Amino acid sequence: MALSGETLVRNGIESDVALAARGDSSAFERLYRTHVTRIHGLTRRMLGSHMADEVTQDIFVRTWQKLGQFRGESAFSTWLHRLALNVVIERRRAFAVQRGRMADDPSALDHVTVAPARADLRVDFEAAMEQLPVGAREIFVLHDVEGHKHREIAVLLGITSGTSKRQLHRARMLMRKHLGGL
Amino acid sequence: MTLHEALHEEWTDKLSDFLDDELTPEERYAVESHLQGCASCAAVLEELKQVVARARTLEGRPPRADLWPEIAARIDRNQEGARPGADVLPMRARAARRVTFTMPQLAAASLLIAAMSGGLVWSLRDRMVNRSAEASRSISSVESSRPTSPETSPMEREALAERPDVVPVALADAQYDAAVADLERALKQGRGRLDPATITIVEHNLQTIDEAIRQAREALVADPANTYLSGHLVEARRRKLDLLRRATALTSESD
Repeated sequence: MALSGETLVRNGIESDVALAARGDSSAFERLYRTHVTRIHGLTRRMLGSHMADEVTQDIFVRTWQKLGQFRGESAFSTWLHRLALNVVIERRRAFAVQRGRMADDPSALDHVTVAPARADLRVDFEAAMEQLPVGAREIFVLHDVEGHKHREIAVLLGITSGTSKRQLHRARMLMRKHLGGL
Repeated sequence: MTLHEALHEEWTDKLSDFLDDELTPEERYAVESHLQGCASCAAVLEELKQVVARARTLEGRPPRADLWPEIAARIDRNQEGARPGADVLPMRARAARRVTFTMPQLAAASLLIAAMSGGLVWSLRDRMVNRSAEASRSISSVESSRPTSPETSPMEREALAERPDVVPVALADAQYDAAVADLERALKQGRGRLDPATITIVEHNLQTIDEAIRQAREALVADPANTYLSGHLVEARRRKLDLLRRATALTSESD
């Protein structure tokens, strides 16, 4: 029976996970190349472009160290995403003081280029997200981009669901105002 | 904010919850009724939908630079651990009379335990001292008594499991203490079969864990309701038990 492309990919990932867990760095490199885009997107959107590369590296080093703990009870991508979120949240806490000094100013969005050309919409949307106030941005990313529920976000960030909802609405309204010409 | 926006803020504030189906049936009905007669709020809702749709279809883009060379270099360095699971003491070297670890493994284990940061999971072996298994179950039962709702999602349960919001833990536990004493005795008897470097690292780690346990106990005396401290104590005690089990198992493996 022929296997679907998705099955082949999944089997390939599982095989690479098993090889990497036994110390095969080539297999781990394949896992890295398969998943780096999503992980880097998460770190860039949550923490900002200036930290994305470094934190992405930290996540993959941590993944290598913890591969022995992966039991295959969920998909590797789910496990990796969870690990990445933990690293991001740790880093977020570590930089809480610095972030507290950062301007939490919704007008920062006004500095983003207005009325983007059609081809630049994606980049401009990302740029606008990066300019959101930190609290609103994190929740916008977790909820609208990554698909987490408010209850999950509340647990992850140590806030209430109500705060998560308010910040999400704030973020959406800011994005709407800036990107009114979507 | 325009006068119109100010007048309609009460409604627009509900639009995200409306969009996400987070309102009660009554609230939803009220918003729907308002939207039927308010073109402005209906337009805002449409724009919010577009923002959400755009966010959900965002494509990833790889980093500008290839991050792999740095990652490969880091996982090759001694301090990062030379193989996956470097934060777990390996259970190999059966053939050798003396059990030895590579320096990267020892360094990684030392650093991780010394840091006492989360995420340390020991591989458990079957042949455990019965009493230590009982003590372990006792600790696990404290952890499993965390309240969870049947509505809790798997991710929430996972997150809760990693949070230290556990019920207060007893400062004294005779079963646990007896298990630790048994294992310490067994380790003392078998330490001659271990490599000196291994003994050093195990003893150093035990001292670190003991210090963490002592500090948590002292702090709990002053603040017995502190759930973070309770969780910290449970985790430190479990680490000690697991480290003793592993080290004791190694002495018998080298027979």
